[in-house]
This record gives sequence, C-alpha cells and structure tokens, in this order.
Amino acid sequence: MFDFQSLWMWLIDSKNWEGRYGLPNLITEHMTLTFMSIGIAALFALPIGIAIGHLGKGGSVVVLLGSASRAIPTMGLLFVLVMLLGVLQRELAVTMALVAIAFPPILSGAHAGIRAIESHIPEAARAQGMTGYQLIRLVEVPLAMPAIIGGFRIAWIQVVSTVVLAPLIGLGGLGFGIIQGLSLRNFDQVVASAMLIVILTVLGDQLIGVAQKTQSLRLENLSGGRNK
Amino acid sequence: MKQQLRIGIAALALSTLGLAGCSSQSSETIVIGSQAYYSNEIVAEAYAQALEAAGYTVERSFSLGQRDVYVPAIVAGEVDLFPEYTGNLLQYFNPEASETEANAVYEALVAALPEGLSALAMSPATDQDSYNVTQEFAAANNLTSIADLANLGSVTLGGAPELAERPYGPQGLLAVYGVTVEFLATGDTTVESLVAGEVDMANVYSADPRINQLGLVTLSDPEGLFLSSNLVPIASEALDQGARDAVNAVSSAMSADGLVAMNVRSVEEQLSAAQIAEDWLRSEGLID
Repeated sequence: MFDFQSLWMWLIDSKNWEGRYGLPNLITEHMTLTFMSIGIAALFALPIGIAIGHLGKGGSVVVLLGSASRAIPTMGLLFVLVMLLGVLQRELAVTMALVAIAFPPILSGAHAGIRAIESHIPEAARAQGMTGYQLIRLVEVPLAMPAIIGGFRIAWIQVVSTVVLAPLIGLGGLGFGIIQGLSLRNFDQVVASAMLIVILTVLGDQLIGVAQKTQSLRLENLSGGRNK
Repeated sequence: MKQQLRIGIAALALSTLGLAGCSSQSSETIVIGSQAYYSNEIVAEAYAQALEAAGYTVERSFSLGQRDVYVPAIVAGEVDLFPEYTGNLLQYFNPEASETEANAVYEALVAALPEGLSALAMSPATDQDSYNVTQEFAAANNLTSIADLANLGSVTLGGAPELAERPYGPQGLLAVYGVTVEFLATGDTTVESLVAGEVDMANVYSADPRINQLGLVTLSDPEGLFLSSNLVPIASEALDQGARDAVNAVSSAMSADGLVAMNVRSVEEQLSAAQIAEDWLRSEGLID
C-alpha cells in the first residue's frame, strides 16, 4: 500500500530542496506564518484574557468566543479576506485568518489559568498591600503559567495545521506539496509534505509541553511540595 | 482550477458518492454525474434535459468533486454519463501522453479508456488551459502569440501549483518557444494576480468568463504547446443508441462561444445550471 522507498527517494531528491518552492523555503514560510500569527494573537489575547480573569467579569465572553471559534470556516474566511484586501495583501489575509484561529485558545488559557487560582491567594496578596498590577504580575500570572502555556499549545496545533491552506491563495508553506501533489497525482510528494507537517506539529507540541511541565514543577516546588 | 479543487469539497463529494452508490440502479434510469465545477454542471444539465426530452429517465448525481473521486465511480458503473474534457481526461489515464492536437488527443483518449467506458463524439466546444495577458501588457509588448514572448527579457507566469510540473508549464515554454519564465504559484487567485500586475501572464481556462469580462488577451499557441481539451461525454454501456444520439446532438450543437456564453450567464446572472441549460437547448431547437 505504502511505498517507503519511493517516499524516501522523493525526500532526498535534490530538486525538491531547491528554488522558490523547495522544501527549505516552504518550511521557513510555514514557520514564519505560524509564529507571526500566534505572536500577533498573543499580543491581544494575553492582556485581555488576564484582565478578564483578574477582574472576574466577562468570563462568558471568553466561553462564547472559544465555542464560536470552532465554527469559523477557515477557508471561507481566507477567501473573503483575500477578496476584501486584494491579492497583493495575501500575506496579511492569511495572517489575519490565522490570528482568528489562534486568538481564542490563548485567551481561554490565560482566563482559565487565572480563574483557577484559589481565591484565598489573591486575597492574601491584597492583604499584604499589593496593588492590582502587582497582584497580576507577581501572583496571578506566575500561578496561571501552565494554563497560559497550554493555550499556546492548542493554538500551535491549530495554526500549524491550518497554514496548509495558504497555497490556495498563492502563498507557500508545506501545504504546497499537498495541493500540487494531489493535482499531479504525485502521492510521494503529498505524503512527504503531510509527514513533515505532522513532524513539525508534534515536535512543537512536545517542546511547548516541556515548558508547561517545567512551569508546573516550579509551582509545585514553590508550594513546598505540599501537593506531592 | 476546476480540478484543482477545494480540499473541503472532497469530503462532501465522497459522501455524495456514497449516497449515489446506495441508490437502486434500475436499467432504465441513466445516472448523470458532473464535476464540482459550475460549467461542467451546466453541460451535464443539458445532457439530462435532452435525454428527458427523448423519453429517458435520468438521475442527476452532480458535483462529484475531482477526477480522483469520480472516475472510480464511473469505472464501477455507478455513473452512466459524465461530461469530460478530452485532454485533461487523457492526462488522467495516461500522464505520459504527448498528443496535443484535438483529433489526436481524442483518438488517444478512446484508446486509453478502460473497458466498459466509451467516449461519445467530442464537441467543438473547448475548455482548456491557455496563457493570457492583460490588454495593456499585450499592447506594450506587441504580443499576439506565445512565441512573441521570446523577445521579452523576463516574464512572470502565474497559475495553479501543479502548472510548475505540467508539460506546458515553464519547461514546455522553454523547450517549445524558447521563452524563459519565472513561475509563481498563484493558486485560486491567478486572475486577480494578473490584473494586479503581480504576474505578467496567467494560465486561465479558455471558457472562463473573466477572459471576456476583464478584456484579457489569450495568446495564440501556434506550436501546439497546450493539450487540446474538447468537451466529450463519457458513457457506460448502459446507454443505448437512442440515448447516445440525443447526447451527440447536444455535443455537436455546443460551440466554444456557446459554452462561454452559458458560463457568463452563470457568473453574471447567477442563474441555475438547469435554467441556463434549458434556455440554451431551446435556442438550439433541441427541446421544445
């Protein structure tokens, strides 16, 4: 069914590693679009999520956004944005569509992390004379760190797998090999591209997972191992 | 672009196919399929109404997606009649085929079709790849034929990602016309990229209404770089001679301009495929 040899031959063929649509370029483009969108989404989602969690108001908005985001037809959004912005702005269109996907999980991660803090902790911090800002910076955000990172983890998986649509509107990324390969019926190219996407996704997920774990351990140690 | 589908539709098409497979297949009912491409659906509608007028019972199983999905269904006998394109279908069955001239392509296709399938007479109407430039670019560089591009220093070519590897893509342009192009995979936004000046030349299907609407100039292809792609009905053995005659009458009445005119009605007036096909059949005197 599945021919590893021809897949390997495709992967080591030097002509697939050169030029505008060679693998190094496609991987770079894929990663650039992913990082840029997650970065921009975080710029907005983190402060809003933290603020909502801190104030304890507007939590329903977060839940609503989180659910609604699952219903966004990404491809439709992508085409609408290209139509509105024009083809010369296709990078912007893709980035905006990806930001829309990355925003809700980062927002809910930050919000949920802060809401999950037992209420006596911020109360104690207030009693010690901390201002609201100090409370956020020194207490709430550090305690919410594993959940915040968890939000990024979900955003990563969703964005890195959605960048695959970019070639439909004339950009690169690893989806190029899937879309070109399907039309050419070159299934080695399709499988190789899909595998690279899977590897990138899992690798990134694992790396973020390590960061998440480190933060959880740090918190456990801080609490004197009480929870162990 | 008709075949370079939207991936999302593939899943949908698969489920539709499943349904088509379930429906009971009486020998009198002719199942007509179509691609998920509006122009193809109009042609399928024309076949369907012509057959109905001739007294046959038809079942419409339209928008079956791309070739990889529906060709197995045709081969398996789940679909009896399907509007196809000679060149593109030949390329599907025989990727190595080197014929480009219309009659040669048709003969090669007839030879390449699997057992049980036959190609009815091909129509003069074509819907094939073509290279197009804007009026301004054509005027500024005195272009009428692809060969004229050889005088230009550099040309940027836009098209679907697969064009990079097609025989009529960059390699073919260099080998046949001595034209060097830089390829940009503009995907579904190819025509928009051409108009925006991002690419100098774009691969657009010849029956695309936008060629007329935007006043694009289609460069002639004197050396036969492009694979001819005429409309051709692909039929299973379930079609009797009477049905074949009815479909052949539709094919021979349809011209390239007639096909474009129907596509324009679909895009501009947003009419249904059934309405457009009916009006056309009436105007050609094929139904009353």
